[in-house]
Amino acid sequence: MLWLYLHFPHLLLDHIRRSHEKQQALVVVEGSGHKVLQACPVAQSQGIRSGMRLKTAISLCPQLQIARADQQQETRILEDQARWLYRYAAYIVLVSPDGILAEIGSLQKLYGGLSAVWQTVEQGLNERQLNAWIAIGHTPLAATLIARSGQGECTADSGHIQRTLGQLPLLKAGFDEKACQRLQRLGLDTLGDVLKLPPKELAKRLSPEVVVHIQKIQGSRPDPQTPWQPPHRFRQQADFVQDIEQSQGLLFPLQRMLQELEDDLCWRQQDTDSLLLILQHRHEEPTRLRVRTSGPEHRAEAFLKLIQIRFDQSPLRAPVMAMVLSVQRFIDREAANERDLLGTTQDLNEAWHTLISRLQARLGSDALTQLSPQADHRPERAWSASDISRHSGHKSSDDFASLPRRPLWLLKGPQPITEAPSEWLSGPERISGGWWDGQRVHRDYYIAKLNSGQLAWVFHDARDGWFVHGWFG
Amino acid sequence: MSDILNTLMRDSRVWQGHRQGHTSHPSEPTGYQVLDNQLGGIGWPRGALSECLLDAYGIGELHLLLPLMKTVADRGKTVFWLNPPHTPYAPAMAREGVNLDQVVMVRTDDQGDVLWTLENCLRSPATGLVMAWPGNLATRDIRRLQLAAEAGSNVCVLFRDRQCADQNSPAALRLELEPDHQHNLTVNIIKRRGSWPGQNCSLAMAHRADLSFNEAPRVVEGPWPTSRR
Repeated sequence: MLWLYLHFPHLLLDHIRRSHEKQQALVVVEGSGHKVLQACPVAQSQGIRSGMRLKTAISLCPQLQIARADQQQETRILEDQARWLYRYAAYIVLVSPDGILAEIGSLQKLYGGLSAVWQTVEQGLNERQLNAWIAIGHTPLAATLIARSGQGECTADSGHIQRTLGQLPLLKAGFDEKACQRLQRLGLDTLGDVLKLPPKELAKRLSPEVVVHIQKIQGSRPDPQTPWQPPHRFRQQADFVQDIEQSQGLLFPLQRMLQELEDDLCWRQQDTDSLLLILQHRHEEPTRLRVRTSGPEHRAEAFLKLIQIRFDQSPLRAPVMAMVLSVQRFIDREAANERDLLGTTQDLNEAWHTLISRLQARLGSDALTQLSPQADHRPERAWSASDISRHSGHKSSDDFASLPRRPLWLLKGPQPITEAPSEWLSGPERISGGWWDGQRVHRDYYIAKLNSGQLAWVFHDARDGWFVHGWFG
Repeated sequence: MSDILNTLMRDSRVWQGHRQGHTSHPSEPTGYQVLDNQLGGIGWPRGALSECLLDAYGIGELHLLLPLMKTVADRGKTVFWLNPPHTPYAPAMAREGVNLDQVVMVRTDDQGDVLWTLENCLRSPATGLVMAWPGNLATRDIRRLQLAAEAGSNVCVLFRDRQCADQNSPAALRLELEPDHQHNLTVNIIKRRGSWPGQNCSLAMAHRADLSFNEAPRVVEGPWPTSRR
């Protein structure tokens, strides 16, 4: 078996940096906020080093942006990275807080060689603007140690790997302080010196834990790893060092998040029709924007347009400190079965979905309705409005040909008639019903022409008098 | 003559009073032969605005558009009704053979949204016909809509008040609708692109209420004059 280890030396820093358009000096400080843990290249060029006190760093660079290290956040970001790596490798192990282990021995054939695997991973890292130290080893622990020392190379040659391992100083070989001291007293300085000794002698002189550690590096003791399975949902978060006040400023990080969503959906061969965008504010409840499309969609561009419309509709309530994009509803892609030779039907379907989604995003989803006839004798209940959906089946019009003659306009409520009609044309037609649900209707309908030339559908109600209920438009 | 002039003449973008050539604009037949003849063999212009100017609803204005609605819906394109003044009655439309799956109602109160919606509908290839009751429109807005209509190739019919007939409008076709003493609809052509206006015709609309045309109006002795008042 061959293992690949990705060590992210400053994951949090990379994560925050890529959500910003302008590159400014940025440092990550430890939880208590006294010491600089990680510094970005811009900060480093101004003389800030990791391990420096924060006060010193600020005096070097007054515009310094500061992010606080957060264990939970780091774990989450690491999981995000594992998610994309899972597309390339099946067997992935998360090593908190800053590493991912992947089994690549089985991938060589698929990708056509070890260097191809290496390149794929490096390309993935580049696309995501992440820095990672990569290394290959024959045991998980060996790969981890080499990666952390930053000396990984793309080779499966065991001699080369052994040599690299052998040159590691004891402190970098993962021994604890006590064991280090003990080994140094024995006159051993590098891991190579330790590995050269016969195992029996080592077992006699060192504690069992240290021996297990050495055996795991060498591979003479099994080192089982629990594979990580990606949860079936999509979640991306962008954290901002400075609060963003204009919705325009959110579009840039959003573009990257949506692109990742598109990649993720493409890879799963799935679509989605609702996104949840949560904007976190410093002093207020988070804003939750639910963006729906009228049909299954996966393109980042389409989502971005819809979100843009939502932003135009409602400006931000408060400055945004973090933004979360999550998708929980996935729809399997259907094979396009309506496509004709030139693919025109498909385009039309797509154009329809795009248009309806745009309209719904701007006007609200209840602004658009479709009408359908209902089986009821009462005119006001003989129709219903429903949400939009794309039906491809064409109902035969024969079903409706037997319906009685009705006007094309129906008034929202019957209007009392103000003048005597000039001409009575047909009627009466009695409509009586509704005794079963308490909405009793008992009317005689006539078609009449008013003085203005309008053809009206008039009724006489036994209790209330004369009303216009529709126009023959 | 130069190429540019030739093109302008052919597309009848320059109006020539002495010659009424057939225009080559894409269009949809109205479904009423009489009206088609008056419009020079063409019907509703595609990729341009049409206006119907009328005083009151219920004079047969929807029946004027019904044949187009049917063909558009059968072609799988969507018919949008934007802010209709009353509820379009679904059973009646189904009876006339309109595929209701392709009919979408849009309702919005904001005037800015109305224009935005119209523009978006007009530009989309999924749209076939847009019918809109936009209320008061400035000439500037109609100009904007005309440009949006030119970007797509859809028929757009605006229903406006008849008082607007006196105003100038960039719409390609303007029809004035009036009821006559029979149950017919008189259509006056106020403006049409590339030709003389001023024609008028009368369309039989008695069928919209199942009234036989030749039959003398059957007077129903309603209890109208005596029962209540």
